[in-house]
Amino acid sequence: MVKFSKGSAMSDIIISLEKVKKVYFLDTVEVDALKDISLDIHAGDFVSIAGPSGSGKTTILNLIGCVDKPTSGTVIVHGKNTSDLDDDKLTELRHRSIGFIFQTFNLIPVLNIRENVELPLLLDNQGGERKAERKDWVDYLVESVGLKDRMLHKPAELSGGQRQRIAIARALVMKPAIVLADEPTANLDSATGESILRLMHHMNETFGTTFIFSTHDPDIVEEADHIIRLKDGRIVEDRRRNRALARTVREVEVESL
Amino acid sequence: MIAARLAWGNLGLHRRKSFLIGMIMGMGILILFLGNSLIDTALSGLQRMFVQGYTGDLMVTGPTEFPTTVLGETAGSEEVLPHIAAINKYQDFLSKRKDVAATLPILSGQVSFGIGETELGSGYCFGVNADSYRSFFPGNVTLVSGAWPKDSDGPWVLLSEPTLAMINKSASAPVQPGTKIIMTALANSAGTVIREVTVAGVMKFNQSNQQLAGITLVDADTMRDLLGFASLRDGAPNLSGQEAAFVSSFDPNSVFSNLFGGPSETAGQGSGTGSQSPGAASQLAAAPSAGAPSSTVTSAAATAGSTSATAAAASTLIPAWQFLLIRATSGANANKLLSDLSAYAKQIGDGDRVQNWVAGAGAVARTAVTIRLAFDLLVAVVAVVVVMIMMNVLIISVNERLYEIGTLRAIGAKRRVVRGMILYETTFIAIIAGAAGLIIGLFVLLALGKIGIRAPNLFFEALFGGQVLKPMVSGGAALRAFAWILVMGLGASWYPTVVALRIEPVIAMRGE
Repeated sequence: MVKFSKGSAMSDIIISLEKVKKVYFLDTVEVDALKDISLDIHAGDFVSIAGPSGSGKTTILNLIGCVDKPTSGTVIVHGKNTSDLDDDKLTELRHRSIGFIFQTFNLIPVLNIRENVELPLLLDNQGGERKAERKDWVDYLVESVGLKDRMLHKPAELSGGQRQRIAIARALVMKPAIVLADEPTANLDSATGESILRLMHHMNETFGTTFIFSTHDPDIVEEADHIIRLKDGRIVEDRRRNRALARTVREVEVESL
Repeated sequence: MIAARLAWGNLGLHRRKSFLIGMIMGMGILILFLGNSLIDTALSGLQRMFVQGYTGDLMVTGPTEFPTTVLGETAGSEEVLPHIAAINKYQDFLSKRKDVAATLPILSGQVSFGIGETELGSGYCFGVNADSYRSFFPGNVTLVSGAWPKDSDGPWVLLSEPTLAMINKSASAPVQPGTKIIMTALANSAGTVIREVTVAGVMKFNQSNQQLAGITLVDADTMRDLLGFASLRDGAPNLSGQEAAFVSSFDPNSVFSNLFGGPSETAGQGSGTGSQSPGAASQLAAAPSAGAPSSTVTSAAATAGSTSATAAAASTLIPAWQFLLIRATSGANANKLLSDLSAYAKQIGDGDRVQNWVAGAGAVARTAVTIRLAFDLLVAVVAVVVVMIMMNVLIISVNERLYEIGTLRAIGAKRRVVRGMILYETTFIAIIAGAAGLIIGLFVLLALGKIGIRAPNLFFEALFGGQVLKPMVSGGAALRAFAWILVMGLGASWYPTVVALRIEPVIAMRGE
């Protein structure tokens, strides 16, 4: 099975936030979105960031995803301090090391499913894998998310769940060390949300990719083996648990219903 | 490539906006292509007509304050055009150049035609040597009746068809080859000059307009008489010893010395610096009409009163000419020739004017050139408006794709991908709309050529480049139109691209 080369050692810290503050300026009002946040995330973790609206979930994801910079403090992603990187280097870091799954899927409407999954590879100007290898890899991912027969469809022709599956495939196509998912199930019904979460789990286990997702759904939070709870821009819980044990407990709970 | 793929997809997705921008670009290309083709047609038609039939590529005239047309019209108030005193020097200079195919000296002026004491009308005349004229403009004159005159013939005139028609309208008997008619002109230096000439034939210009079609050709000596220049028909002036002595020692300043109280200069010492001044012994006026510009003699021997001296002088006489037309060799750089000849004219120092065919052609060519300038100005103004409209549409389009562009940036697209995507969009529209505009323009030009609209007046002749509109399909005009639109499109893309590049990847996280 394919294992990603980057960040595959389970014990390695792949993301580290140290005394991170993020202040937004809305006209003359200062809004403290994050207050002295410190946390470590290990490679291969399946992490949920939970909390009510406005607690700072998305802000943390933005900082980890290198689409935003902290007001103060240090954000280290895959060994690089994001505050030291210019726009091009941040783009490069996102491109090589981070996959994104958006709440609203964010597929490119003019591209078909296959092209959407392939898109990050096409943005890679360095050449990378040869065309045939690239095609095999894209086909494998689309097949893995169960949409092989929809390969040439446009995103508008797919359901929400199917679009999110394609977004997962796109997030993995560069074989990144980290995948960030901002409320990936928020726009989906519960059954579809469940299947998406299972797919993310599967990809996490299959490829060893670190998955970090934000959610306010308590059931989904407990699927993770590293749970970070936020409230008013502060961490109120940072808990690790044994994933196998967590799964067993959950299965028992489901059976007892 | 991905930028091109995304751009192409976006054109299809945002069809209405693409169509709107495409319409603007297509219309722009159509108008530019048609306009430039028609103006190219006008200018090349006029250039062909004038260069091949009337002016040559360049012309030298005597010193005038303003540019002068080959018909003797200036923008100023000169009544009689001066002659080119050093015409032999120009001819020598030009004969050594490889970029000069031929030269032709001519005179021109307006004369009245009559029979006996009856005046029958007036028209423009060129005073020429018949053989030289025919060889310089081989394809432009067709003899309708009569015969081409020889240089040895007596005073002759070749009437143009419109002039013959005008004369015959009032004449008691039809004028035809062999008929003697009277030509009269009012030369400001010589008063009214009347000459009897024989109609050698009737001719027509193959390329002409309403004004040029009426030009009559007359022998150069008769034209000199009519313009008030000294004719050399009878050879050098036969001066008595007293006259020759007077001319050789004449000092014009001494005539006025008593009036102004200044010291008179010694004869022959300085006042006669120009060839038109008869004071210099080396450049003696050859029997001009009183006070008229003169033909010149380059031999001091002419000062002698003897017949032999007169004959010697006649052999070196330089007849007066007002214009020296110059034909450049095929493919030669006429602008370079113009520049070199202007420098040479400056070196001679007579103040002669060197000008191109446009100045020689006069109002009709100036109209076409002015129309081109006005068209270019109009295009520039419209271009600014069009660029603003396109820019607005493109900005709206960018703003509608905030999340798409943000997503691209989030997943690793560098700014150049976003920039390329927008520039490709504009380029694709320009190519598609441009092709459509050019094809429609081509059909319009072909249709206009087939219809062949006739010009109702001189203004439209200038517009049409001839009497009938036969627009040429100009590759240059097509390229210019396309280049204009592409530049406008890319110019209009500039600000929207700046806006797109400001879109931060974080916007993708905010949801659609």
